[in-house]
Amino acid sequence: MKVLKFGAVWCNACLVMRPRWKEIEAEYPKLQTEYFDFDTDVDAVRAYGIDRTLPTFVFLDDNGKEFLRLNGEIAKEKLVDIIRERMGDV
Amino acid sequence: MKWIYAFAITAVAMIVGAAPVRAADVRAYFFYGDGCPHCAKEQYFLETLKDRHPSLSVYEFEVYNHPENVERLIKTAEALRIVVDGVPFLVIGDQMFSGYAPGTTDRAIEQRVETCKASACPDSIAQILGVAAPRPLGSPSPGNGDAVSGMLRDALLETPEETAGADLPVVPDAGSASSAGGVASSFTVPIIGSFDARSISLPFLTVVMGLLDGFNPCAMWTLLFLISLLLGMGDRRKMWILGGAFIAASSAVYLLFMVAWLKLILFLGFITWIRIAIGGVALVGGAYSIRSFFTNRDGGCEVVGEEGRRKTFERMRSIVRQGNLWFALGGIIALAFAVNTVELVCSAGFPAVYTQVLALRNLVAWQYGAYILLYIFFFMLDDLFVFVVTMATLEMTGVTTRYVRASRMIGGLLLTAIGLILIFKPAWLMF
Repeated sequence: MKVLKFGAVWCNACLVMRPRWKEIEAEYPKLQTEYFDFDTDVDAVRAYGIDRTLPTFVFLDDNGKEFLRLNGEIAKEKLVDIIRERMGDV
Repeated sequence: MKWIYAFAITAVAMIVGAAPVRAADVRAYFFYGDGCPHCAKEQYFLETLKDRHPSLSVYEFEVYNHPENVERLIKTAEALRIVVDGVPFLVIGDQMFSGYAPGTTDRAIEQRVETCKASACPDSIAQILGVAAPRPLGSPSPGNGDAVSGMLRDALLETPEETAGADLPVVPDAGSASSAGGVASSFTVPIIGSFDARSISLPFLTVVMGLLDGFNPCAMWTLLFLISLLLGMGDRRKMWILGGAFIAASSAVYLLFMVAWLKLILFLGFITWIRIAIGGVALVGGAYSIRSFFTNRDGGCEVVGEEGRRKTFERMRSIVRQGNLWFALGGIIALAFAVNTVELVCSAGFPAVYTQVLALRNLVAWQYGAYILLYIFFFMLDDLFVFVVTMATLEMTGVTTRYVRASRMIGGLLLTAIGLILIFKPAWLMF
């Protein structure tokens, strides 16, 4: 499972999400994440059609297929639930 | 004997019939205009006066929107043999009070009420106004009130709006509704319950509106981008200077805009269509905010105006990279002015609406300045928090957007309420 995180330095909600993901990444070391900046990583932004709201979190399964997309400020508990459901207690 | 009884009854009837208003019954006839600040102040004073003197009855006549009340005012002036050229205009026991100056007029009015309570005063205009049976005509007392506006009388007659009820507008109790244009400050809001508009203090309104305006996310994106650039500089002194200059310049733009707007409103006076237009802006802004509450449920940052944002970022980058601090400082200040001037549109009319509310309060110059500064302080509070915390920790910090959505709904409802009040009941905002 992999999570693609789309954000921007000028986006307040993206800054709020930074420490939350940092904690999750420390708690789930097997979880793969990748950050894309909305203003600089234009190709990835276009490829995933990020054109409405930031931050956007795209959840990919082991085959690289998107199974969930979340926008905005998300509670850490909700993210953890999704990760546990997919990966189990790792 | 019969003729003795008949004589006695006739004599008593004549005495009673000729008697002026009984000592305990004092009537005040108050002519006012909806939207006139002096009228609103006097109206408020009269309601407090009624609390102190329960025997006082205040009959209200709104003249801006009710031509028939203008006719009543003209007839009153003719009966008292005086010239009326403005409102507020009050008559108690055939003594008139034109204009209203707190500290002088209110004392004179109360004194007149006490005099009329102690010894009956003549009340020659009751019949003209259709309040009660004719009273003996007393000698008119011209008074010495100052006129609010020499053009007012003509202007009053240029508003041929429908009459909202044929009953005479009497205000028996403070806060209760009156007909035909009488102003009621008390109303019921679903869920919240009974609510008195006059209980809203201006400092409270200033803090709430400043905070809600500050929650507007588009006011913060440039600061966040600047902070991200400053963090890469490594020079803490320069970071504080440039970031602080940006915040100060952003505040200055708001200050200049609000002061200019306030001056414009005060200069133009209380022209009805301007007040209604600003009320319309508030309604549109309120509707936009409420719409945002439903459309942006996740509280994220909306991706709009990419091209403009990229250009701003490029300019900001080149400014921050300036080797010369003074050039960088000048560039940051200029950029703050440019960006914030454009972003004023994004504020959904909050500053314009607030300054209109402020103008209606009829304050002195320093009070206007103090309120605008208070508003700007609370408007900038979240920016200050983010900047100071980031500079102290050297890590970019965001303010949770959990309350942004709620602030949209609250702000939307507040703007809608103020818009409606500005259009229909501006007197509620004049205390």
